[in-house]
Amino acid sequence: MSTTLERPALAAPRKVTSSKDSRTLIRSQARAGWALLAPALLHSAVFIVIPVIAVLVLSLTDYSFGDTWSWVGFGNYADLFRDVDFLASLWHTVLYAIVVIPISMAISLAVAIGLNQKIRGLGFFRTAFYIPTVTATVAVATIWLWIYNPGSGLANGFLSLFGFAPNRWLADPATALPSLMVVGIWQGLGTKIIIYLAALQGVSRDLIESAELDGAGRWQRFANVTWPAIGPVQFFVLITSIVGTFQVFDLVYVMTQGGPGSETRVLVMDIYQNAFQDLKLGYASAETVIMMIVIALFIGVGRLLQKADAND
Amino acid sequence: MRRGVGLTLLAAALSVLVSSCGNGVIDKSTDGVPPAEATGTLRVLVPSFPPSTKGREAFQKVVDDFHKTYPKMKVEPDFATYKNLNEKMSTSIAAGIPYDVMVTGVGWVQPFASKNIFEDLGKYGVTPDVIKEKSTPALIPAVTYDKKLYAYPLVADARAVALRKSAFREAGLDPDKPPTSLADIKVAAEKLTKRDKNGNITRSGFDLASATGFRQSFTTFLAATGTPLYVGGEPNFDNKAGLDTLLWIKSMINNVQPYGQTNAAQQPLVLTGEAAMGIVNGGVDCSADGIGQKNCDDLKFFRFNSGKEIEYVGGDLASIGSRSRHKDAAWSFIQSMTKPTSLDLIAKLNKKVPAYKDASNSPQAKSNPLSQFVADGLVYAVNENEVPSNWLEMRGNFDIQLTQAVLGQKDPAKVLHNLAGQSR
Repeated sequence: MSTTLERPALAAPRKVTSSKDSRTLIRSQARAGWALLAPALLHSAVFIVIPVIAVLVLSLTDYSFGDTWSWVGFGNYADLFRDVDFLASLWHTVLYAIVVIPISMAISLAVAIGLNQKIRGLGFFRTAFYIPTVTATVAVATIWLWIYNPGSGLANGFLSLFGFAPNRWLADPATALPSLMVVGIWQGLGTKIIIYLAALQGVSRDLIESAELDGAGRWQRFANVTWPAIGPVQFFVLITSIVGTFQVFDLVYVMTQGGPGSETRVLVMDIYQNAFQDLKLGYASAETVIMMIVIALFIGVGRLLQKADAND
Repeated sequence: MRRGVGLTLLAAALSVLVSSCGNGVIDKSTDGVPPAEATGTLRVLVPSFPPSTKGREAFQKVVDDFHKTYPKMKVEPDFATYKNLNEKMSTSIAAGIPYDVMVTGVGWVQPFASKNIFEDLGKYGVTPDVIKEKSTPALIPAVTYDKKLYAYPLVADARAVALRKSAFREAGLDPDKPPTSLADIKVAAEKLTKRDKNGNITRSGFDLASATGFRQSFTTFLAATGTPLYVGGEPNFDNKAGLDTLLWIKSMINNVQPYGQTNAAQQPLVLTGEAAMGIVNGGVDCSADGIGQKNCDDLKFFRFNSGKEIEYVGGDLASIGSRSRHKDAAWSFIQSMTKPTSLDLIAKLNKKVPAYKDASNSPQAKSNPLSQFVADGLVYAVNENEVPSNWLEMRGNFDIQLTQAVLGQKDPAKVLHNLAGQSR
């Protein structure tokens, strides 16, 4: 069933003066529009467009906070693809995103569906799930550092109940990144749950009841009514998750500093290291440009998946 | 017309907004102005004073001394830490308000001097002879770039080795004959390591003090074989001595000490009894507020000697920013900081040794046996030596790649070869 909304045809101008009035009205509306847009445009120009241009320009130089600098063309980009730290950071970031995004989205949706039911203590659960989101990452990371502490941490204490040997979670190259992923998944749930919950509450009850009357089971109702209805929200959550996971930094900075070795070094950490520790601002700018491109690629893939899902 | 007026108003409003965000005033240069008449703000980046009440009080004493010469100058301190020093410096340069006085450590001077960020102190009469006569000669290479001096030492951050006498006796070792060579240390450490029934280390045999990276310990152990890390900015570790040292570290980690072992207080593990032997920094508090006299009496200090007796010595080094508009005042401030009374305060606050001629007789050295030991051993000082100008980058590279070699992720020989290739 589809409904087409058609724009009503404009009545022919009866007088030249009314046509003039209409143009004046449109112009004044346009002016009002620009006036309302101006603060946002100004903000975007100052804090987004100018920095992006500056990063693009800097990425073509060898600027390192000294007195002199020179143009190096695409030299920084060529060096980046020979830089094992950058390649490792890129891989860790992509891996982090690939694992954290789908798992956190799936858990969030499941929890949101649970919280959308009429259960007791709903307010408590909603608050409990949202608390990690409003807690400072440094505090979250500090608590998780204790949980992962090899000697006195909760994780090893819990596993020891089942006879498992203690693990050196963050000090072991094999478990350091997965340990961070767990924290990343946990910390990101709150926001996603709230968004999903809002979307679920917007799904038409009429459609669900109709499906129920047609004999659709619980899974069929979810797959054919709820899932398509929350499609746009899924896409929004996906995009914000991609951007968020690619920008993961504070968690890594507090918990592992990118170690052991470079096992948990992620892109923003590498950019930070190059820019503010090694003072290679030109090089770090090139890295930032690459990160923007990778995020755009991921968003593009997400968009394609969303389109394919919508066509299904 | 109205649009033009609107735009002009908008531009004016923006200008006001932007200018009101900062104080909008850039100091006029005070160089050449009589000190008593000079006005402006002296910005000081200083990790030597902790931002505690005691640290601020000690800093104020330096400021009060400085004000005797420059009474009208305001001093704006930035109590940074060594961890965020580079961020502070780079962001201040990017923001166009570089610091006038910058206190950094060993390994910072050459990279910043090569970028023209530090001022040559030769014009203030600082020469190697002056430092030899008044300060710590061991720190001359650390403040030298291209045969010019760019910093003045404040305190020496010396490291020694300590052992627990009780642990030695318990393991059947003689604490009066401490192992000093790398080979002997390994043998003793293996005997001293305690494990639980599952084989997990419960007390380390030797603390390499390398929770986050092996750069400093590698430098120390390598120097103990008589091989400095760099000579004249050229790498000196891609050789048999370097490989043997790295393999030795690899053989110690997860054998006599778990990788990444540290405690919440960031204390050397031998002082807390979590290790039987290990690297310690330049001071110990033997009072009841510290580790207590009984623990102190159980400690014995010694130095590495695998062919050459050495003591790793870092330090706090004061420089003048080359873009400062108050260079004369900055030098005057450094002179206030380097007065013996100020250096004693800095040394006490940081458990380091004052970098003046007779450090062995300083109040800090007299205050505890460890400071006395390291002060007496400044003649054995080693550090990264004459590092290349990309040392800031190399610090991180060393920490990451040595860890990868130690944890068996990369071939040690290839790691050293790679690090040598990256040094320039």
